[in-house]
Order: sequence, then C-alpha cells, then structure tokens
Amino acid sequence: MKKELESLFIYSLVLALVSKIAIGLGLGKWAIKKFDLTPWMIEGLPWLFIALMAVCVYLLSRAGMNSKGTAQKGYSGYIIGWAIAALLCFVLWDFSDAFADLDIEFEFGESSLLLRFANYVGHGLLLLVTGLFAFGNILGLQTAAIFAIFTAAVVVIAQTREEDEPAGKIEKIIAQNIVAKIAAVPMIMTALGVFVGCTIWTIFYSFTKSGLLPKANFVGLDQYERLWDTSRWIISIKNLAIYGVCSMILSLLIGFILAALLDQKIRFENTFRTILLYPFALSFIVTGLVWQWILNPEFGIQKIVRDLGFESFTFDPLYNPDIVIFGILIAGLWQGTGLIMCLMLAGLRGIDEDIWKAARVDGIPMWKTYLKIVIPMMRPVFITTLVLIASGIVRVYDLVVAQTNGGPGISSEVPAKYVYDYMFGAQNLGQGFAASTVMLLAVLVIIIPWAYLEFGGRRQND
Amino acid sequence: MTDATVNFDGPHGPKPKPIFSGRNIFIYGTLAIVSAYYLLPLYIMIITSLKDMDQIRGGNAFELPIGPDFEAWVKAWSSACTGLNCDGLSRGFWNSFQILVPSVVISILIASVNGYALANWPFRWSNIFFTILIFGAFIPYQVMIYPIVIILRELGLYTKLTGLVMVHSIFGMPILTLLFRNYFTSVPEELFKAARVDGAGFWGIYFKIMVPMSLPIFVVAIILQVTGIWNDFLFGVIYTKAENYPMTVQLNNIVNSVQGTKEYNVNMAATILTGLVPLVVYFISGKLFVRGIAAGAVKG
Repeated sequence: MKKELESLFIYSLVLALVSKIAIGLGLGKWAIKKFDLTPWMIEGLPWLFIALMAVCVYLLSRAGMNSKGTAQKGYSGYIIGWAIAALLCFVLWDFSDAFADLDIEFEFGESSLLLRFANYVGHGLLLLVTGLFAFGNILGLQTAAIFAIFTAAVVVIAQTREEDEPAGKIEKIIAQNIVAKIAAVPMIMTALGVFVGCTIWTIFYSFTKSGLLPKANFVGLDQYERLWDTSRWIISIKNLAIYGVCSMILSLLIGFILAALLDQKIRFENTFRTILLYPFALSFIVTGLVWQWILNPEFGIQKIVRDLGFESFTFDPLYNPDIVIFGILIAGLWQGTGLIMCLMLAGLRGIDEDIWKAARVDGIPMWKTYLKIVIPMMRPVFITTLVLIASGIVRVYDLVVAQTNGGPGISSEVPAKYVYDYMFGAQNLGQGFAASTVMLLAVLVIIIPWAYLEFGGRRQND
Repeated sequence: MTDATVNFDGPHGPKPKPIFSGRNIFIYGTLAIVSAYYLLPLYIMIITSLKDMDQIRGGNAFELPIGPDFEAWVKAWSSACTGLNCDGLSRGFWNSFQILVPSVVISILIASVNGYALANWPFRWSNIFFTILIFGAFIPYQVMIYPIVIILRELGLYTKLTGLVMVHSIFGMPILTLLFRNYFTSVPEELFKAARVDGAGFWGIYFKIMVPMSLPIFVVAIILQVTGIWNDFLFGVIYTKAENYPMTVQLNNIVNSVQGTKEYNVNMAATILTGLVPLVVYFISGKLFVRGIAAGAVKG
C-alpha cells in the first residue's frame, strides 16, 4: 500500500510539472482553441495533480499511523530546506519584477561591492527557481504548492518509517546523494530547460504563423514550403554545401600534412605550432575583417600583383558573386586549420613507435606507411575531427557578417545568417524558426550516427 | 612514452643525419612557407595600422610604414564612431571585460561542481543529463536563441550585461563540464574513498582535495572561456543593445559602417586591439591552450 502511494505521489508530481511546462509553452491555449475546451479544464490540470499529491501524502500518513518514526532525526534538515524552497518560490514570484529592476549596471562606484554581490545572488536564485517555469504568477504559486506538499511528504515519512523498513521511493529521491543532486541543478536546468526545452519550443513554433511575436496559430508545413521557395535560402544552402565540403576536405588534408611534417622530430616544433595555431585564438570577426582587407582589390593582393607588372590580374573574390564563398573559405581555413593540425598531431603521437620501426624494417616507403597503416589507424581521430568541423560549419555566421555581410547582393548568405535576419531583422519569426529547425536536422543527421558509433562502441568496451 | 636511456660508452643512437639533406630542406621549407602565410595577416594588420591614410591610398598593403604613426590606434581606441557613439572601442572593451569576468567565474564554478558530481557522486539519470548536455554543445545555437530571449525578457535581463553573462554561463557549460568530469574521473578513487572514510562530505572533498589537485585544469578552463567569451559575436549582438555591445560587435560596427570614408588604418588598429586579449592569452598560455582546445575532441 505504502509503495503504491509513494509511486502515485511521484507520478502526480511529474505530471504536475509536465502540465505546468506544457501550459507555459503555450500548448494549453492551443488545446483550448483546437478542442473547444473551457479554459479551466486545462489550467486546472496542474492543480489536479497537486491535489492528488496532497491526497497521497494524507493517505501515507494514515497508512503509517502507528509507526514510531525512526527516520525523524536526520530529516529535520530536509524539512526545513523544502519549506524554505516553497517560501522562496512564493516570495520571489511576487517580487520578481522588483528583482529584475535591480540589474547590475557595473558602473563602478555607484553601488557598493556588497550590493552588487547581493544582486548577483538574487539573480542567481531567481534563475534557479524560475528558470524552468518562468511563465507567470499562477505557475509560481503552483511551484510553491508543490514544494509545500513535498515538505509535508518529508514530515510524514520522518514520522512513520520503522527502523527495519527499507527506504521508500520518495526517501530515495530526497535523501540519497542529495548534495550532488542539488549541486547538479544548474546542469539539469540547462540540459532540460535550455537545450531540450528551448529546442522543442522552437520546433513547435516553426509550425505556426508567428510574425513579430510568437503566436500559436498553426499553419502546418507552410513555413517550410516558403523556406524552400525562397531563393535566398537556396543560395544559403548551396553556399554552406560548397563551404562545408571544401573546408572539410581541405582542412583535413592541410591539417594532416602539417601534422605529419611537425611529427618528423624536427627542431622548433613549438615555434611552428605556435605560429600555425595562433589564428585559432582570434575571433571570426577579426579573421573576417583582416581577410576583407587583404582581399580588397584596391589595396590588397590584386593591387600588389598588378604593381609587379601583371596589369590584367584580377583576384577579387569578395566582389565577385560567383566565387565570393571561396573568399570566405580562405579566411575560414586560415583560422581553423591550426586546430585540425593539433588534433591530428595528437592522433599521430598516439601511434605506437614500433609500427614505424616495423614498417621501416619491412622497407615500406614513408608515404605508403602513412597512407596504408597510419591513416586507417587514426580513423577515430578523423571521425571525431570531421564531426567537430561539420558542427562548426553549420554555425558559420560571424565570419560572413564580418567579411561580406552576405554580399555582394545575397551571394554569400549562409543559413545561420538567414535565421538571424528573419528573427531579428525581418520580424518574421516563423521563417526563422523553420530555418533553424532545418539546421538542427542537418546537425542531427551528422551527430546521431556518430554518437551511436561512439557510445555504442564504448559500452562494449566497458 | 620516452625512450629508456641506454648507457654505454662510445657513439650511440641513430646515425647522425646531415643538416641540409633533401628531406630537411623539404620539411623546413614547407613549414617556413606555410608559417609565412599564416603570419601574413598579422603582419598586414600591424603595418596598416601604423600607416597614415595617404600612404595607404598610394602604396600597397605589404610595404612598410614610412614613419610609425600611432594616431590610428588612439583614434580606434577613443574616438572611432559607431552610429551616434563616438567614444571608440574603449566602451566595447569595458563591456567585454565586464561580461568576461563574471561569465568566466560563474561558468567555471558551475561546471567544476557539475563535473565533480558526475565523476564522483553519480546519481540516477545523471549520465542521461550529461549526454543531453553534450548533445547541446552540437545543437546549432540558432534553435535556442529566441526562447532564451523570451526567458531573459521575463526575468528583465534582456539587453542587459547580466543577461549575457547568464547566456555565456549556460553555453559554456557542456564543454567545461566534459573537461572537469574527465579530469576528476582520472583522479585515483582511493583518494576519494579515503576522504569519505575520514568523514569528508561532498563539499569538503571538493574544496580540500579536488580543487587543490586540479589547478591546471582550472587554468585550462579559464583559457578556454576567456578566449571563447571574448571572441563571441552572436550572443553579444542578440542579447545586448548598442551601449552594452561587447568589443567584437562594436568592432564589426566600426569597420563595416556604411557612413563616412573608410579609414583602413583605424579599422586595422581596432581589429588588432580586439584580437589582442585572446592573442596575449594564447602566447602566454602555450601548451595549456592546446590542451584546452583538444578537450572537446579527446574524450576520456
């Protein structure tokens, strides 16, 4: 009986949270419209589950009426903690607007260090408590209620568990390893609230007609159809494909050759490596601007070659719509190959010296050893590097903004820029969401097989 | 692995090779040319910033400046215009600084505790959360940008520096957590168990054993975050407004502004100034930087 009650308690807790989040995401309003429900039917759902939790606690207390309560001693801390959490939720929600006004502006001297610190703590707490459910006051009240009932559950358990009785489900959740769980709250919030929550939110709203503001009026796949009918998007995709393929092949090739050269037990290895890697420390903005200057036909490479006597020499990739993406590629390669080289070098260093010796004894030429033995052995390094490059390529944004800003015309647009421009420039959120969802799909196509290989393989090793 | 040293008299080791063998000329020649190519943009940036506009219009980008002229640097720092603001990059520099310090501290604090909890105090589903977190590192940011705008607006932090600090702390978490988790996993378990037997708790072990033992990895994390956050453009442009723009955004606005004549020397000076912080970090940190960037790829 007790076991089932505890399970029921936990399931209603989870359902209460899920329904809260779903309503917060706007699913509630949509359901009301779609199925012609009265609003209280949806908005009452979390309350229903909270009530169920309360009933469970009551029944739990009845079930363990005559017990001695040996767990009582160690639990007072939890009782106080959860009660404080409930109180905090209630208070912070009511004053969250006031808290938000206390933003830290960092004007040194204006406010004391202590005050600034206090502000930070306040904001941090606010984030912690509201992060997942920050969608309005009524939801805050629900969170407070959940915490309060949880407190009651802890009290009941502390009062009723016998010494020889095994710890129940609730007890396992609150008592075992609780410090680690609390310490991991930011991680859990980020993983679920931001990475999963926000992604789902965006995918969800990509099926709507959202313009200036996100609105839940569904139009099916219209946004996607429009997306693939837009020439700018098609150009973006083409550019990304060209940039991606070239940059993958070239950076792997150059990176590997450079790493192989550095691996020949040469002098000044550190100097060379430092020089080859330094562009990676620079931002894409800096990279883009430098190369914009070097590729400037009036002053840069074209001018220099012309000064040497080749009057008809033209090299103006940034001003020629047909090859502008290669101008960006040059800058991208300059910035990124150093990293690939380092990864490859680490891979080469991981190869057993004996293999080299054996190959030498057998009289296999160096290039053949690389091609036939070393590269196949480095397959995992290559795959990981490819995944890193690929997921970086999909995000290319700053480089293009700095170097060409999509120009000339729209000939160097990329998907990430399309998303940004439609979300924040053209106030056409639906298009932005649809485009970003397509980007997500592209990345998933790369990541999922890789993760499957990686983690599947590792499980076998364990 | 280092080779075991062999002690015997007389010449030993491989036969000495001639310095100017064809092989050496090929290797060093290629590396020297490639290095020159990699250094070229830096060279051009510096000399352009030291020229005056007359020389830039007249000559080519490669020639040395006639007399080093630091006026462009002064202008880039203190009086270059972005829109209506004419106080140069200094504003962006201080904004970036104010974003950088709390972001680095907060993200490393959170990530190190997370990594520690994952490595030494695993709980139910902790690995699932971790997997999601790592997946999050690969998800294009574009999918998450807008909901975060809404969350920040709800919290009243949208366009404020604090909001951007929060965003950086969130998006720095996957890679840093991975870094710390892998490091803490490699700490011998006996140490942890001994401390447990002696009655140390979660925080006791963290502060008294883990942190002192893992100072190098903290330095790696700091390097990673300083360069990453300083170089960020996307979050800066989305989550702040004009007077709070970080340095990269301001730099882009200065250089790519359509109004007025282009002052290439000022632009290049501004570009160097923006790249200076990560470059200094890079040259000082040396091998630790390499370790930091390899952290994402080399998994424990």
